[in-house]
Amino acid sequence: MFRDNKVQEWRHRLRHVLPHIGNHVKAFAVGFVLLALTNASAATIPYLLKLTTESLTTPTRGPHAIAHLVLGLILLAVVNATVRVRARTHIFGIGRTVEFEMRQRYHAHLLELDAPFFDGEKTGDLVARGNNDITSIRMFIGPGFLQVSNTLMVYAITLPVMIGLDAALTLLVLAPFPVVLGGARVLTRRLYRLSRRVADRFGQLSGFVQESITGLSVIRNHARDGDWCRRFATEAHHLYEANVDHTRLQSLFAPLTMLSGGIGAILLLTFGGSEVAAGRLTIGDFVAFSGYLAILIWPTVGLGWILTVMQRGLASLERVGRILDTQPFVASPEHSSANRPPTPRWQGGITINHLNFSFANGPKVLDDLSLVIPPGGFIGLVGRVGSGKSALLNTLARLYPIPEGCIWIDGMDLATMDETLLRTHLAMAPQESFLFATTLRENLNPGNRQIADEALWATLQTVAMEREVAEFPLGLDSVLGERGITLSGGQRQRVALARSLLADPVILLLDDVFSSVDAHTEEQILNNLKTMTPTRTILMVCHRVAALHHADCIHLMEGGRIVDSGNHAELMASSTRYQTLHQRMARKEALQSMATPALVEVMP
Amino acid sequence: MTPAVHADTEETRFGRFMDWRLFARFLSYAAPYRRLIVAALALLPLSALVQMTQPFLIKQAVDQHLTTGVMEGFPLLLTLFSLLVGLQFVIGYIQSFTNTLLGQRVVRDIRNHLFSHLVAMDAGYFNRQASGRLTNRVVNDTEAVSQMVSSGLVNLVSDFLLLVGIGVSMTLLSPSLSMVTLLAMPVLIIGTVLITRRMRLIQRQGRILQGRMAGQMTEEVEGAEVLRLFRCQQHRRHLFETINREHFRTVLDSNFLEAFQFSFIEAASTITIALLFWYGAGMVDQGETTIGTIIAFIDYIRRIFFPIRDLSGKFTTMQAAMTALERIFNLLDTQPAIRDQSVTAPLPVFRGEIRFEDCDFGYGDALVLQHINATITPGEKVAIVGPTGAGKTSLVKLINRIHEPTRGEVFIDGLPVRQYPLRTLRRMVGMVQQETFIFSGTIAQNIHLDDPAIGPRELHDAAVQSGAITFIERLPMGMETVLSERGGNLSAGERQLLGITRMFAFNPAILVMDEATSSVDTLSEQIIQTALKRLLQHRTALIIAHRLPDIRHVDRILVLVRGRIVESGTHETLIEKKGVYSRLYALQFREETASMMD
Repeated sequence: MFRDNKVQEWRHRLRHVLPHIGNHVKAFAVGFVLLALTNASAATIPYLLKLTTESLTTPTRGPHAIAHLVLGLILLAVVNATVRVRARTHIFGIGRTVEFEMRQRYHAHLLELDAPFFDGEKTGDLVARGNNDITSIRMFIGPGFLQVSNTLMVYAITLPVMIGLDAALTLLVLAPFPVVLGGARVLTRRLYRLSRRVADRFGQLSGFVQESITGLSVIRNHARDGDWCRRFATEAHHLYEANVDHTRLQSLFAPLTMLSGGIGAILLLTFGGSEVAAGRLTIGDFVAFSGYLAILIWPTVGLGWILTVMQRGLASLERVGRILDTQPFVASPEHSSANRPPTPRWQGGITINHLNFSFANGPKVLDDLSLVIPPGGFIGLVGRVGSGKSALLNTLARLYPIPEGCIWIDGMDLATMDETLLRTHLAMAPQESFLFATTLRENLNPGNRQIADEALWATLQTVAMEREVAEFPLGLDSVLGERGITLSGGQRQRVALARSLLADPVILLLDDVFSSVDAHTEEQILNNLKTMTPTRTILMVCHRVAALHHADCIHLMEGGRIVDSGNHAELMASSTRYQTLHQRMARKEALQSMATPALVEVMP
Repeated sequence: MTPAVHADTEETRFGRFMDWRLFARFLSYAAPYRRLIVAALALLPLSALVQMTQPFLIKQAVDQHLTTGVMEGFPLLLTLFSLLVGLQFVIGYIQSFTNTLLGQRVVRDIRNHLFSHLVAMDAGYFNRQASGRLTNRVVNDTEAVSQMVSSGLVNLVSDFLLLVGIGVSMTLLSPSLSMVTLLAMPVLIIGTVLITRRMRLIQRQGRILQGRMAGQMTEEVEGAEVLRLFRCQQHRRHLFETINREHFRTVLDSNFLEAFQFSFIEAASTITIALLFWYGAGMVDQGETTIGTIIAFIDYIRRIFFPIRDLSGKFTTMQAAMTALERIFNLLDTQPAIRDQSVTAPLPVFRGEIRFEDCDFGYGDALVLQHINATITPGEKVAIVGPTGAGKTSLVKLINRIHEPTRGEVFIDGLPVRQYPLRTLRRMVGMVQQETFIFSGTIAQNIHLDDPAIGPRELHDAAVQSGAITFIERLPMGMETVLSERGGNLSAGERQLLGITRMFAFNPAILVMDEATSSVDTLSEQIIQTALKRLLQHRTALIIAHRLPDIRHVDRILVLVRGRIVESGTHETLIEKKGVYSRLYALQFREETASMMD
């Protein structure tokens, strides 16, 4: 019963690697055989050395005895090396394959997960799991398997031979080995803890420097450099101390290994020596014994080390497992059928009935909101920060889970809609124009669909950017980001807008995409958007008055509700809230325009 | 497809294995620890001797005792052998420990030097350098240097000594047998060097690929929304698989080389031993050598092969360290553009007068400020207004020499600012910025910025004067509350209040405020305005204003447009004038006036 539970528990802990191990059972078997061959040939070498030494002391040996033995030794050395290379590459190869497969799986899984999940995670941590942790798991499989089976095998082969030579001497000589194993285990475990502290301190120092450079103006303004350097010195000293602690232990490792070998040699010399002198052991046996001792030391130390590594692998497995076990909140694209028959193009009418929404455990951001958007409408959304405009767009784009029966598009329930179907008909340009550090072309077409260059250029024209792109030395193939062209905020927004247009959606959601674009260009783009064919339903969070004047209908939001609706003229006449808002926006724009040359003409 | 990253950037380039010029300069950092160096070096011959004597003792045991059966003197030999084994352990430990200690100490000093140098650099320098790269210099490059000391340099000498020592001992024991052994050396050395070089390239490639995978994942996590919206999953999976597969191939290659190197050395050592037997057999028969000698040779051969294998790894460490040293010294050789003048004039008695005399300022050809002429009398409060990008912030930064005018001069109390010691100048001029930068640490640390002159009393008084005490005392840990990076756990208003508290604590004679209330909500603004009003008392002040309350209490207003002062006067005279200010005022401030009257 107890044992059953144990098995269950291990099965659970290893649930994410067991299938991989299962796939490679045959490979493991081959590796095991190769390893056995390696060890067998390696163990024969000291035996041949023994024979050779013995024949040196035998004056009656045949004329070619030594030559044969030497030839045998050379042959064996070559065979051993060849098999060893095969065995190691084979077994490490299994580990690498599993690493490859698991990384593929982890990455694919990450792509399936959605906004509610990412909101609660740190980027660096998710990446570390995909990188370092999967590497640790690989250590668990490749080197772990190799080291453990190798040590067992070395003992299985060497021990009987040694015992056959002299059982008592074997026991005596190997007496320190359990201590070696235990010592290596304790030492590595402590070393890991200490090296983690070093890494932490290292990270802290890095963080301190980074922060100091960012906040250097404060330090400079207050002439605090002297004491700040002292503070750095303290941080640097912490790292130094952590390093010294680590070194104190780390420095033991190699000398201890040498010491255990040395103690073995002392024991051999003490007890084996007198045996030889008494004639109970040949000098050849003595040489063989010292050879076997040399063979046994490293696997023993290695076993202690690998056990610690494997323990870490288990911890990593848990960390990776937590992500792999997380399921997406919204229907995943994988589960939607890609091969469904083509549906007719949508009309793009949206009906929202009593929609309530809040982010994970947060307060309500959309409060019993109802709204009807006619197909092909150009709809503006305005309201203060936090009034729920972005939340409304995010729910319409189904980036967050939504209740069933609240949002209908052309009469279909958005909550249960097929993912592929949804994404082919609806696109959004989020508030933050996230671009990838790759070519402009790839950013315009991130899904790598078939889009002709002409279409890309045409869309760039729509977003009033074709002239700027034409001036880039590499045009559409210019790399964006640190290693290439750095785009201004307005350019980024226009690229993001172009990207959403190129998805050719029926419904287009624009979340404040003109905030860094100048008023003149915005006007131009708005005109282009309105005259575009085929017509789209456009829902846009507005930032400037011009956009409001363009909209067929404006919804004024407050506290997660729509409080006033109508076109600009209607709202100006009926809503004081809208009037105030409009006035404030207009003032702000006029002020911004003062920075333009127009003002300088007033100058004396 | 993203083009493969070419690794030969400044960050990854590998230089020479040894550069004496750099090394000599490095030694000046090691000089304070010469006792450690002497200890490390003194242990070297000792450790080599201990290692070399052991096989010799075995030979003695075999020849004198084991083969003859004479056990007299054998216990003594055993004791000696045990002593050597013990000694080897102790020496090995001390050596390894001293080396690392030395490396860590030297690196700690270099780091401190680098950091204080960095802090002294002017603002312009940081605009040109990526902060990540500078952090890299202080943290990672120095680490490479420590590697050189702890595992490269001394070990290189020690391995070399060991090889020479073993060579000498073997020659002493049997010149002809050692010839056989030495024959194997060239094969071994060339083989190892070739393999290691290839391995280094492949491993670097592996790291680059791993970095690319991490890079892709980072982007995908940050841009998860975009990936979902535009159905990029399949494409991204495909991209990732390409890199992952390439990485897989690379690491397989590296695994092969590793296994090959390991086995190659093993096989070479066995073959050398076999040859030794073959050649030695005749000599034993002739009585030219003993079996004991051959056994000792076997031991020597086992000891000689591993230092050779490690040698090439150490060369790599040295190369990395030399590259790092070059970058470190380059940084140390860059001098700050703004620093103390060697001869400083006697300081005038403080009155608080600031005078700009025909100042220009700009980057390259683009002038941000032109012909700035203005005098601010002691105790006067002057507002600077103007549209975004007019050069307001640049103007005030000339006062405490964050920027240096490209032409003209700024005076405080008649003495050019560049003749004040920087420290004095910057303590004299206090700056409240648009947003207060918060360091991770306690509230107290963020106010006193590690100035020992500001004790708990001064801290408390400053907080009372600014009014920050109200919110600080509400926190469970009070002044000792730990703030997260960038002060994430405080509101914008609270952060700004801390910045003002800083001012009360530092008590500067001249005050500069750069849109101090722009990022604050209306509620906190009331409190902050009160605090600022108190702060302004008895001080000469320059206020960059963008809200009405900022200009209500000033004596004079300077209007800055496109780098020039276009108007100057009191609010009333400027409104009368119906120029730029009156327009600005109408647009920027009238609404606020209206809302205040509500």
